[in-house]
Amino acid sequence: MPRRPASPAAGLDFASLVRQHQAMVFSIAWHLLRDRAVAEELAQDVFLSLHQHLAELESPEHVQFWLRRVTSNRALDEARRRQRRPMVSLENAPEPVAVTPTGDPLMGAALRKLVAALPEKSRAIVVLRYQEDLDPAEIARVLGIPVGTVKSQLQRALALLREKLSRVVGQASGLSG
Amino acid sequence: MKSAALPIALLLLAGALPAQQVKWNFDKLAARASESTDVSLDGALLQLGAKFLSDDDKDQAKVKKLVGGLKGIYIRTFEFKKPGEYSAADVESFRAPLHPPDWQRIVGTHSNEEGETVEVYIKNDNKGIGGLAIIATEPKELTLVNIVGAIDLDSLSDLGKHFNFPEVEVEKKK
Amino acid sequence: MASFEDELKSALKRQEPSPDFAERVLARVAAAPVRRASQPWIRWMAAVAAALLLAAGGLEYRHYRGEQAKEQVLLAVRIAGGKLAKAQKRVQMLAHRSNS
Repeated sequence: MPRRPASPAAGLDFASLVRQHQAMVFSIAWHLLRDRAVAEELAQDVFLSLHQHLAELESPEHVQFWLRRVTSNRALDEARRRQRRPMVSLENAPEPVAVTPTGDPLMGAALRKLVAALPEKSRAIVVLRYQEDLDPAEIARVLGIPVGTVKSQLQRALALLREKLSRVVGQASGLSG
Repeated sequence: MKSAALPIALLLLAGALPAQQVKWNFDKLAARASESTDVSLDGALLQLGAKFLSDDDKDQAKVKKLVGGLKGIYIRTFEFKKPGEYSAADVESFRAPLHPPDWQRIVGTHSNEEGETVEVYIKNDNKGIGGLAIIATEPKELTLVNIVGAIDLDSLSDLGKHFNFPEVEVEKKK
Repeated sequence: MASFEDELKSALKRQEPSPDFAERVLARVAAAPVRRASQPWIRWMAAVAAALLLAAGGLEYRHYRGEQAKEQVLLAVRIAGGKLAKAQKRVQMLAHRSNS
């Protein structure tokens, strides 16, 4: 087999990569699955795979892209599998501890639940857009779907979230719908 | 004379050097802008992007032909929350590097109605146009464009019309 | 008052996993058995598969970088061409006015 020069990513310390990216990987899984234990297990599996494939990755940026892609796809697969089985209701799913609580906590909890109720692909698009701050072209690369699909699904998802949130807020403030 | 030989040698050398990117300092504006867009494509990245342009798509094929011989494209756009957040002195600092004999201003337009100006400069080299610079100001936006290499201005303008003002093309077809 | 998108960003902020998450990952990596193929032909197949994965992984990332660069080229031409076309349009309008 021809020898390849060692990839730059291969020299990266694996433990450092885990610490650097653990919040990103766990959060993508958590926001897609809304089950802390399953999200942590999935995140661990992703890092195990990273360890096996590290030599194939060309740079720190490639590592980040790879982690986002693998985590999103595995979490989506798991979300689809779980859809076919009855699960703990979202109301009972415990919230993980936020790193730094910002914004309205009640609004945040309501939004997270509404995002969790979106169809899987739309949910992934919203998470990658607002958690990871990726633009539609980057989201398209990560998920392997056309950028037009990303844009239209994002638009629809935001409209749906706004509408549902206004109903939730209206109910909470005692206003009739 | 010895003292004259060095500047002359430098001038001759400058003619032989590859076209250089304009050295603009964006720090002050970047600190004040509410949003900014940065497109920096050196020769390698430009050629990589061009490879991925489709020959089957008419627009992309034209872009591919346009950027084929270029050495770099550098664009910065700054957006501000309200008018007056950048000054005439800021704009003057961007004009400063674009002076003769290397640079020549070929177009300067101003619209009172919209409060917009567009200035277009070309860089002269032995073979013709060696680069392009554009300074475009609007009340809440400032755009700086630098293209390094022999750029076809007509093709660039046509593509610009096509991407930004398609209604102009519809009018022409009527 | 925060915009809807700001609220979404805040709601979907990254969360930390359990404090011992990294240690558990490293423990699993250390404990993972090293599989050694007993048959030479299995080792050869594994080498071929690894080479294909390597090539695919590298190609995939280069494709991603190329697509990114392509989008940047199109954006650059749109911005630069737009400004140039605007200037040209004004010059033509002025020429038309002075001739009429």
